[in-house]
Amino acid sequence: MTPSPQSASPEHEPPSRRTLLRWGALGGAGLALGPLSACAGPTGAPGPGTLTLGLNRSLVSLDNKLNQFDAAITVQRAVRQALTRIGPRMKVQHVLADRFEMTEPTAWTVRLREGVRYSDGSPVTVEDVATALRMYAKVNGSFILGLFPELPTVEPTGERTFRLRTERPVPVLDRLMANIHITPAAANRPEELQSGLGSGPYRVVKANGGAGEYTLARNTRYWGPRPHVDTVRVRFVPEEASRVIALRSGELDVVDTLTPDSAEQLTGLPGVTVQETSGVRICQLFFNFRKPKGHPLADPRVRRALTYAIDGESLIRDVLTDSADPAEGVVPLALEGAVRTGSYTYDPAKAKSLLKSLGADDVRIKIIWESGEFAADTSVMEAVVDMLQEIGVRARLQQFQPGGDILKWRQGRGGDWDVIGNGFPGTTGQALTSLQGMYGGTAEKERTRDTYMGFVVPHIEQQLSDAAVEVDATERNKKLVAVQHTIWDTWPCLWAFAPKTLLARRDRVRDLDLLTLNSYDLSAVRLEG
Amino acid sequence: MPTYLARRLGQSLLTVFLTLTTVFLLVRLAPGDPAAAYAPPSASSADLARIRAEFGLDDPLFTQYGIFLRDLFTGNLGTSYSFHAPAFDVVMDRMPYTVTLAVAALAVTTLVAVPLGVWMARRADTKRELGANVMTIAGQSMPDFWTGVMLLTVFAVLFPVLPASGFTTWSGLVLPTLTVAVLQLALVSRLVRREMVSALTSPYVTVARSRGVSEHALTWRYALGNSAVPLVTALGTRFAALLNGVVVVEVVFGWPGVGSLVVRALETRDYPLIQATVLVTATLAILVQLLVDLAYPLLDPRVRLGKAA
Amino acid sequence: MSSTAIETERPSAVTPRDLARATATRTRRSAQVKLWAGAVCTALVVVPVALANVLPLPGANAQDLSRRRLPPLSEGHLLGTDQLGRDLLSRILHGGQVSLTVGVLAVLVSGLIGIAAGAAAGFFGGWIDALVSRFLEAQLALPLLMMLLLVVALFGPSVTVITCVIAVAQWPEVARLTRSLVLVEREKPYVAAARVLGLRAWQVLLRHVIPNVVRPASLVVLLLLAQAVLLESALSFLGAGPQRPFATWGRIISDGQAYITTSWWLVTLPGLVIALLVVGVNLLGDGLRDRTRRRKGAGA
Repeated sequence: MTPSPQSASPEHEPPSRRTLLRWGALGGAGLALGPLSACAGPTGAPGPGTLTLGLNRSLVSLDNKLNQFDAAITVQRAVRQALTRIGPRMKVQHVLADRFEMTEPTAWTVRLREGVRYSDGSPVTVEDVATALRMYAKVNGSFILGLFPELPTVEPTGERTFRLRTERPVPVLDRLMANIHITPAAANRPEELQSGLGSGPYRVVKANGGAGEYTLARNTRYWGPRPHVDTVRVRFVPEEASRVIALRSGELDVVDTLTPDSAEQLTGLPGVTVQETSGVRICQLFFNFRKPKGHPLADPRVRRALTYAIDGESLIRDVLTDSADPAEGVVPLALEGAVRTGSYTYDPAKAKSLLKSLGADDVRIKIIWESGEFAADTSVMEAVVDMLQEIGVRARLQQFQPGGDILKWRQGRGGDWDVIGNGFPGTTGQALTSLQGMYGGTAEKERTRDTYMGFVVPHIEQQLSDAAVEVDATERNKKLVAVQHTIWDTWPCLWAFAPKTLLARRDRVRDLDLLTLNSYDLSAVRLEG
Repeated sequence: MPTYLARRLGQSLLTVFLTLTTVFLLVRLAPGDPAAAYAPPSASSADLARIRAEFGLDDPLFTQYGIFLRDLFTGNLGTSYSFHAPAFDVVMDRMPYTVTLAVAALAVTTLVAVPLGVWMARRADTKRELGANVMTIAGQSMPDFWTGVMLLTVFAVLFPVLPASGFTTWSGLVLPTLTVAVLQLALVSRLVRREMVSALTSPYVTVARSRGVSEHALTWRYALGNSAVPLVTALGTRFAALLNGVVVVEVVFGWPGVGSLVVRALETRDYPLIQATVLVTATLAILVQLLVDLAYPLLDPRVRLGKAA
Repeated sequence: MSSTAIETERPSAVTPRDLARATATRTRRSAQVKLWAGAVCTALVVVPVALANVLPLPGANAQDLSRRRLPPLSEGHLLGTDQLGRDLLSRILHGGQVSLTVGVLAVLVSGLIGIAAGAAAGFFGGWIDALVSRFLEAQLALPLLMMLLLVVALFGPSVTVITCVIAVAQWPEVARLTRSLVLVEREKPYVAAARVLGLRAWQVLLRHVIPNVVRPASLVVLLLLAQAVLLESALSFLGAGPQRPFATWGRIISDGQAYITTSWWLVTLPGLVIALLVVGVNLLGDGLRDRTRRRKGAGA
């Protein structure tokens, strides 16, 4: 009964069957590929005038109200600029402003540079600055807001001049203002801007925020010196291994924020240069300061005894492949105002005997951390567990996936833990900001669990807030030195290190001046050949 | 036919709706706080509370669900927390990449698996067929992320001829496509072989052979033509599975598609984005299934939809 | 007549050579080859994994930071060491214990769910069938891996949760097969006879129908085991594996991925082990299926 196709007479067969199928398939393919033809060109290798950057985090927009991580700054600042910036050796440089001075303890006088204009030719005005500050203030969850003790208000005093006024003295306002990007007032809104103009050396010609891909072209109306590179392509390459491979093959020109392993793999390859600077982020194995009185870990002597178990030298050399500095203070020494306060020593026998004499040799340690909190995090943790085991301390690990409940645990609401692996950024380049963020906890803040792992020491907090409003620079530094020593003596960390900032580039990329804050001036970069 | 279509569409809508509801509940029950992922680590509890209120996460689950449904019917899938842009737009920015990869992988699979299956059917149970069979099984048995990493090692590290990640040039498509295709090859080629073996021994082929039709025509026109329906069904199902199944491959190759987006949305607990992704991929997968069903009468004139059952 | 003697000796024109080339023989032979090859591949992996605790190996978590990333065949480390100086072979074998346990348990659970749901759907029909079929269909359209990641996040990454998650991912296959088998079975006279004898429907199903479909349905189990091992390693690869420092195959590979340009063995070897096991299991399953199909063909 099976009719063979041949026996089916043609008139019974729907005449358009094949044609229909064919058109359907073509249409489907067209639908699928249509949008892509705009995204992908036929050639992949960067051309002679194109610089390709491979970021490991997705740059969702070129605004920084909600989206700020180190490497993004490089790209964001190439398009939008601030009044100042933090240049080499943490010095403040003027960008859109050519004068930025503290004229009273609570007032700064600022003058916009002559002739600064956006890429459409319109001038940068005082109103743009005032609006920018207002818009940043209205955004929930902004990283920037957390840096400012208070946002200044703008008092215009002339066409190009104005005063920035605060309630209490903010001695580092010139540094903080480097984070406020200026865009035309009319286009600024209290949200992450998806497009818009900037006054920077580059302008956006193509953007796909969803995929984190951008193409920047030289701003022909740039007010400053002409940038050397015509086109900059920004790509999002999430897998670290892929970034390494792509740089090797020349598909990418610059990869930033490298992990120690990638740096090791890239060092010494022909055509590739690895650059490093000391970093401003501190990565800590921080003790839980919410332990009840009488718990061994509430005793600084026990905390100190435990630090002797950690072979920091070997961790730095073997696990972090020499791409980090062991902490010698409570904040990274690269920060302005940071001082040496001591160092971690490895002496397992001493750790054992100290613990025994303190009656804490049965202490058990639970270490928690979120994947990706710092480079080589899992290896560091697994190695630390092994080292604690060596002195007879039983240690357990609990790793949290990104997006999981680590915050709840940090606040002491998720469950009991003893040590947390945590990184703290030094975005302003100032030791004070980091110190206040970590050690400025008060009883009031602790009520909402807003202190850093429960660290509440009233006299330290007092010393810190004294230093914060001290207008005289030498006096401020003196106070900072004293408080750092006091903090060190509480032994807040099992171990800590400051990862170096690592960047690798193809040799054809020249004049890339990597700053301590893990960014660089894109307009100074040259391409060879 | 119209009633059949209406019923199928109704069922599909129901499936999508139930899926969305499940995901809606699952993401909200899972631990983790979108506000924590959204705000900087230095944010205070008050900041987080404000963000939660802004996202509407303080409302009871039932209210949130009501709002979600209301927005859904007005075509609003919410604003992605991490992209600060409409979630639907973010997904649609990425969809073309995933569809391209799935289409390319399926095309390669078909182009290799069909001739291979036919060849295997004509040499059924010979040593060479056994060898080919074992090879495809081996392909199917390798973990896809491993195959991907191995291909990367060979073609991007040892002999750097192909790009390692992303989709900036068409050559970037080669490695991910191969990785996916290797996995599908065994399944499809075995299906073709089975269908062809039974078709080649069918009475109509014998009749046609006795009437002097060439072996070539017998194989490619008669037998393969009659194997089209199961083949298209299988490919349709594969395509639907691929849309969701390329997550790992996308992660390995940094492919800017929906799969790697999902992983990221989960990491930031980006509820609107997760929901939008599920809605779009599920709809697409079901649509493909539906199209496959509708294609039956085109492929096989004997099939009349809705009459069989 | 003189040739009769020869003809009784060889009553047909079929020579042993013909017999050897007959389709039936060839099918049997290739099924046998598959079975043997499959058994060898599987044993090559399963036996050392099972014996991991007795073999003279360094501990899976014993670190030696001074002996990091040694290549294979180094002294004391047959397959070399990983980024913390742990013995790779030991980690692969101990990781295999976790991965295999998860795989086997998951298949058992999914087999139970699948047979129960599929049999109920096939036997009772009606709304049960509609419900089960809708579920089967929905699961095809679902972003499965993402749902699994969500569920693992929801309940925490423990061996139990991961096992259940994989089982849920796999039950449709068993259910679909069982359903189709039961559909055929329930029309058979013995079912009618049992009904006439006054047995309740579920008793018929439990005592008579299910025992008759379990054997053919269990054939897919080996193929599912292969998939379960792959799925487990994919989940581990994406970060949803059991807590550290537990080694699992997927995690060893994802940890090693950072070193592919310098230490190829960290990714290549564990992957080869997974592939070897899965190939073995797949071949075994395939061979078994071919053999039963042949028997069935011969019986019919």
